[in-house]
Amino acid sequence: MHKIDNEVMLKIEHIDVFHGTFQALWDVSIEVRKGEMLALIGANTSGKTTLLDTISGLLHPARGRIEFQGVDISRMDPYEIVSLGITQVPEGRCIFPEMTVIDNLVIGSYCGAARKRKDENLKKVFEHFPKLKERQKQVAKTLSGGEQQMLAIGRGLMSDPKLMLIDEMSLGLAPIVIDEIFKALKSIKEKGITILFVEQNVKRTLQEAERAYILENGRVALSGTTEELREEDKVKKAYFGVEVCET
Amino acid sequence: MVIALCVTVALAIMPLVGVPKSWILYIFLFFIYLAMANMWNLLAGYSGLVSLCQPAFLGLAGYAMTIGTWLDIPWWAGMIGGSLIAGLFALLISSAVFRLSGVYFAIGTLVVPEALRMIFFLWRPVGGAMHGAGAGYMIKGIGDLSPHVVYWLSIFVGVGSLFLVKGILRSKLGLGLSAIRDNERAASSSGIDVFRLKLYVFIISAIITGFAGTIYYLYQGYIEPTATFNVRWTMTLLLATVIGGIRTVEGPVVGTVVVVFLYFLLARYAGYSLLIQGIILVGIMLISPQGIVGILRRSKFYDSIVKRMK
Amino acid sequence: MIYGGDIITPILMGIMLGGLYALIALGLSLVFGVMRLINLAHGDFVVMGSYIGYALMRNFGIDPILGLIISIPVMFVLGFFIQKYLMGRAFAIASEIPLIIAFGISLIIQNAHQIIWTPLSRALNTPYSHMSFHIGERQFPVSYLLDFVAGILIMLFLRWFLKRTYLGMAITAASQDKRVAQLMGINTGRVYGYAFAIAMVSAAIAGVFLGMTFPFTPTSGISFLTIAFGTVVIGGLGSMLGTFIGGIILGVVQTIGGYLFGPASQMLLVYIIVLVILAIRPQGLFGK
Repeated sequence: MHKIDNEVMLKIEHIDVFHGTFQALWDVSIEVRKGEMLALIGANTSGKTTLLDTISGLLHPARGRIEFQGVDISRMDPYEIVSLGITQVPEGRCIFPEMTVIDNLVIGSYCGAARKRKDENLKKVFEHFPKLKERQKQVAKTLSGGEQQMLAIGRGLMSDPKLMLIDEMSLGLAPIVIDEIFKALKSIKEKGITILFVEQNVKRTLQEAERAYILENGRVALSGTTEELREEDKVKKAYFGVEVCET
Repeated sequence: MVIALCVTVALAIMPLVGVPKSWILYIFLFFIYLAMANMWNLLAGYSGLVSLCQPAFLGLAGYAMTIGTWLDIPWWAGMIGGSLIAGLFALLISSAVFRLSGVYFAIGTLVVPEALRMIFFLWRPVGGAMHGAGAGYMIKGIGDLSPHVVYWLSIFVGVGSLFLVKGILRSKLGLGLSAIRDNERAASSSGIDVFRLKLYVFIISAIITGFAGTIYYLYQGYIEPTATFNVRWTMTLLLATVIGGIRTVEGPVVGTVVVVFLYFLLARYAGYSLLIQGIILVGIMLISPQGIVGILRRSKFYDSIVKRMK
Repeated sequence: MIYGGDIITPILMGIMLGGLYALIALGLSLVFGVMRLINLAHGDFVVMGSYIGYALMRNFGIDPILGLIISIPVMFVLGFFIQKYLMGRAFAIASEIPLIIAFGISLIIQNAHQIIWTPLSRALNTPYSHMSFHIGERQFPVSYLLDFVAGILIMLFLRWFLKRTYLGMAITAASQDKRVAQLMGINTGRVYGYAFAIAMVSAAIAGVFLGMTFPFTPTSGISFLTIAFGTVVIGGLGSMLGTFIGGIILGVVQTIGGYLFGPASQMLLVYIIVLVILAIRPQGLFGK
């Protein structure tokens, strides 16, 4: 069916997640396969960010389990999960605003073995995002929106991840910049890093990703390869009909 | 209600039936601290204003009354006038400290009594400079004032402050405060004037704290700056409120009992009493953020007592 | 104090004194910057540093500055555990609880000092702290010079540490955005512990230099907390350089106040300036 091998890297099984008393995720099951580019699609309150935060260990599931390369990570703390090789690139401009570009990148290599490979990874980041190299001495908050997003992704790469979770990267960015970032993601993927990204821009996502899950109100509504999903009536009606408003 | 009334009456007649003087002193302190702790609870617990400037209010009121007696103003008029001056002072500093929120408010208010201490250390409004800087004032014209009256006044302000807190919480002001506490932004966008409500509470607490302060200084007979504008007062109020249970009506009562009892028990070892209070404070906070009342509320026996008291 | 006839002497003294104030405030600023906690016990930690120096000097004849070799590790470990077992747990309960716990710790330390050392005022008297040196024709105590040098050194060290080491950068990162810091693999709980421990170490150092400059009592902590807070209000929280400048301004204000209105009222001017700054620019002076 698909060209990549089907080894499952991250396996989420039937998780329920709460924010206080409010249940944000209901019986969600997702599989991420090694080497793929997987998308998570959904509206604002569908629970996408909650799902990423649960994988990263900021939240813990009340029920169900999360397994990464055979290890149960559902009770682990964020720093343990990062050192296993899962990095989240948070939504929006979540760089450290008062630190310089280079310091932002260096802090990305804080965890475990990544420190030793700092210089090597720094070189890779600058290959993917040459702009960051030019601006490395600048304070991060002075970068443009697109550059900040690149910095956030670059910082994620510094932790030497096996799996990158990327949250809403295209939010508020110009189409040209989004193109540039997707291009960089493709070449990151080519280097063997698995990518799970979250998007609201459905049309674009279905072009770029290989497979996708669609979340609605904290539940998985649909999943499949992006070719299949593009043909799905429900997707056409729900997302392409209102696409103008979405982007 | 009936039990509460009986207890109050029993305490009120104690000095008449020959109860030891030291006991009377501790009961007196209990009611003074209770009134002030109630006001602090109203501020910190119900209005989110962690005020550390309560010594400023009680000190200003005390000084106003004392200086008044030097100008032949009777002590009882000085009590009322002093309390009002404390209220006015609250209004005055509110324009500065109300710009601060949370922790900044706490620290901003912490500086106020420190500054007042300096001022009263140097400034001698009446009586000339014969005693030198930092000396205190005797209160004049209270020679024939019976100590029983001062004792009864303390009961009046202590019990009265309890009713005041209950009344405020039931009133429109109290409803507004609880709305603010739940969500300040939502309350303010739904038309509640957050600033004004907090200001009312600040002024009320200043007046009552000032009033309790004047009673305390009537008992003491003199006033001087170092012990008056002293962070010890703040410590006592905070300890009583928080150990008992902040944001509960009965918390200050329970907490003040504990604090005064510890003073009584360890009267000869002042340092130990506060050391133990500090340990109790830290311990209780970690076990139950709502203090002793928070722990008690988990038991049914306590519930039944509280219901009967009401 | 040696006040000359002109105003230059108090200004120079104020600048040197400012080094001490910065030293006292650095830890407060660090803890606030990282955890958003005004550590009400910070002044008492400083006094604790003074008493440790005093104990080492009196019982073993160890020079107070040399004694830091012993007191720094002790304060570091103590700070780490206070954060881990008290503050860390308190933060998990509610946001106002750590403030109250800090208050309780302040009470405990103050009264423990009272019991151990009696309320008498003490000082760290060393042969050199009472010597004086000259700038032109003006004479100053050596202890003031030591304050200034120590203030600069510790400020520069903290700046270097926060910018150039992994742990320091992690502390900076956690102070700017806790959630994202966690996503970078930073164990924020442990980082908070180290930040608190470092603040305690700076308090230990401040305590020694303070004790060589002024006498201290078990209740001195509150005045040092107020000074530290004033420094931080003027200089801006979180920034080490800002804190240092704030300390200098405060020191100069105090000595000029003393020069103009007499020593008894020197702190009054400081308090009034703090209140005025709070009223005019409360948030602005706190950085963001």
